[in-house]
Amino acid sequence: MFDKILVANRGEIAVRIMRTCREMGITTVAVYSEADKKALHVLTADEAVYLGDARPAASYLNMDKIIRAACDTNAGAIHPGYGFLAENAEFAEKCGRAGLSFIGPPANVIRDLGDKTMARRIMVKGGVPVIPGMTRADPDPPVLAEEAEKIGYPVLIKASAGGGGKGMRVVNGPEEMEQACIAASSEAASAFGDGSVYLEKYFERPRHIEFQILADGHGHVIHLLERECSIQRRYQKIIEETPSPAMTPELREEMGKAAVAAASAAGYVNAGTVEFLLDREKNFYFLEVNTRLQVEHPITEMVTGIDLVRWQIEIAAGGVLDLSQQDISGRGHAVECRIYAEDPENNFFPSPGRIAFLKEPAGPGIRNDCGIYEGAQVPVEYDPILSKLVCFAENRDAAIQRMLRALAGYVILGVKTPVSFLMDVLQSKAFMSGETFTDFIEKYFTDWHPADGPADLARIAFIADEICGKTGAKKAVSTADRPASPWDTLGNWRG
Amino acid sequence: MEYRLKIKEEIIPVQAEAVAENNLKISMAEQQFDVSCHVLGDNMIHLMVNGRSVNAYLTGEGGGRNITINGLTCRVEDADLLEQNRGRKKRHRDMPAEVTPPMPAVVVRVMVEVGDMVEKGQEVVVVTAMKMETTLNAPFGGKVTGVNAAAGDKVMPGEILVDIAESENADG
Repeated sequence: MFDKILVANRGEIAVRIMRTCREMGITTVAVYSEADKKALHVLTADEAVYLGDARPAASYLNMDKIIRAACDTNAGAIHPGYGFLAENAEFAEKCGRAGLSFIGPPANVIRDLGDKTMARRIMVKGGVPVIPGMTRADPDPPVLAEEAEKIGYPVLIKASAGGGGKGMRVVNGPEEMEQACIAASSEAASAFGDGSVYLEKYFERPRHIEFQILADGHGHVIHLLERECSIQRRYQKIIEETPSPAMTPELREEMGKAAVAAASAAGYVNAGTVEFLLDREKNFYFLEVNTRLQVEHPITEMVTGIDLVRWQIEIAAGGVLDLSQQDISGRGHAVECRIYAEDPENNFFPSPGRIAFLKEPAGPGIRNDCGIYEGAQVPVEYDPILSKLVCFAENRDAAIQRMLRALAGYVILGVKTPVSFLMDVLQSKAFMSGETFTDFIEKYFTDWHPADGPADLARIAFIADEICGKTGAKKAVSTADRPASPWDTLGNWRG
Repeated sequence: MEYRLKIKEEIIPVQAEAVAENNLKISMAEQQFDVSCHVLGDNMIHLMVNGRSVNAYLTGEGGGRNITINGLTCRVEDADLLEQNRGRKKRHRDMPAEVTPPMPAVVVRVMVEVGDMVEKGQEVVVVTAMKMETTLNAPFGGKVTGVNAAAGDKVMPGEILVDIAESENADG
């Protein structure tokens, strides 16, 4: 086992990894940039190494500096967290060459699964269902129509050179094919200078469901149940839960087997996540493998009782995964809300700044993986995640109620947060009834504005603070050199 | 005492009477509130309002506060103080009667056009100097008759950036 681990990340995830290290008796090394000199992960680690200025390229993305920091501090392994260098095959290789263990899958696995075509090929070979579609482009409408018959309508025409929705068309039946084909191709040609298009099966309102997997270096692979991650904004998840409201025991077994098959086919080692799309008829299709610890891993830890970071470290140290699939069972329900420094009223625009006040929720079934403290600065340079609030309870309804209670008691002043937005989502009929599809936010919350606060109580609080609060007391001290009394302030500017 | 408190665009008169230390009687919109309050920190105040417990969290300086109760935030402003501040500015002899920067600066944006009607105190130009933005306000209400600067222009004190013809009924 490692004596010392360097955590090549920042914020809540670095803190979370260091906690498990401490429980395992492993010394931790933080790395930090100019913007993070007083960040929580630096205060949490046993040692800290300065990397460079705030730019990620000079700090958290700088492989050579990080590897040098690990060597200089005699760390035996590097945990990359998520983001930054977590899915960088070159970094994993460089760690190996420097004699350091990379806590994650082998470099070649990261590389293979990071390549969409290669990943698809591996999955097809491993018997994992993939989204039906053409593997090469063809501009000829009759050829596309023939393919569409094989795939089954509705289909989606996509531009080979595409992106950003340009050159995309949904085709509901053969009569629409020719028209859609010409339109998509000419749109693609004008946008990308390349009019070639191909077909994929189109799914209306799918769910995003992923399976956590653990694999050791001795060929043993298990899954740790699913996570439902359909509530997304700007393609980023904001609320996750497990179990999925759409799951049945049979489907779970089937998808779990596919996830294990996917991991085995790729030669996976360490913790990873196999993402699937689930359609209305409960057919599922492979999307991609995330070769890292996921942001939303805590909900899996809550229902399975398993510390994923501990297993990541054990496996990286060559340990045997002595859990069998039968050992894994979910208990209760867990929900996670991501708390970002962002303005939900203004298209979730980041809201950096100083945390003027912080009161974290607490109580039964509540876990807050938090990367800030009162007085901390939220820098503009990095992902604005502040914390992940996780609630666990006996069932889904109780977990939602617990989350609402926790959010109402979570006070972060100084930056904008989506707390009131999250409360509205959780309280919505659609969420309560489990109607969680990837278009959820777009469909129900496009023009969201916060509910009016309790105006009368706010006015009362304002006056109470004026008369009894610090502001009033300070004024009294400045006008007279004696202890503050609320009466002193009364005549100040009012008749 | 009487306060006039503004939330969003609505100003409501509120009467407050201190009946004992940390005890207030507050009335607004024909409702009475018996309030006892305990200040628990710079940003935290606990209230008993007609026997019901309320935790309120406050930030903000001057006449405005953002007040968070049960996860929802209200911006509350003291309307009297807002107006007094404007009044105080008016009384200052050295208050510029023209729209001109206080120091050499660069224009960030001009918010009015020729022909616009402006109110006294309305923001008309934003300039920046030493990475600090400063807003120039209309010294009196009236009609904009000339805009002499555009975004990006270097400007000096004394240069009049916006000409305003004072309205006869303006109170400035």
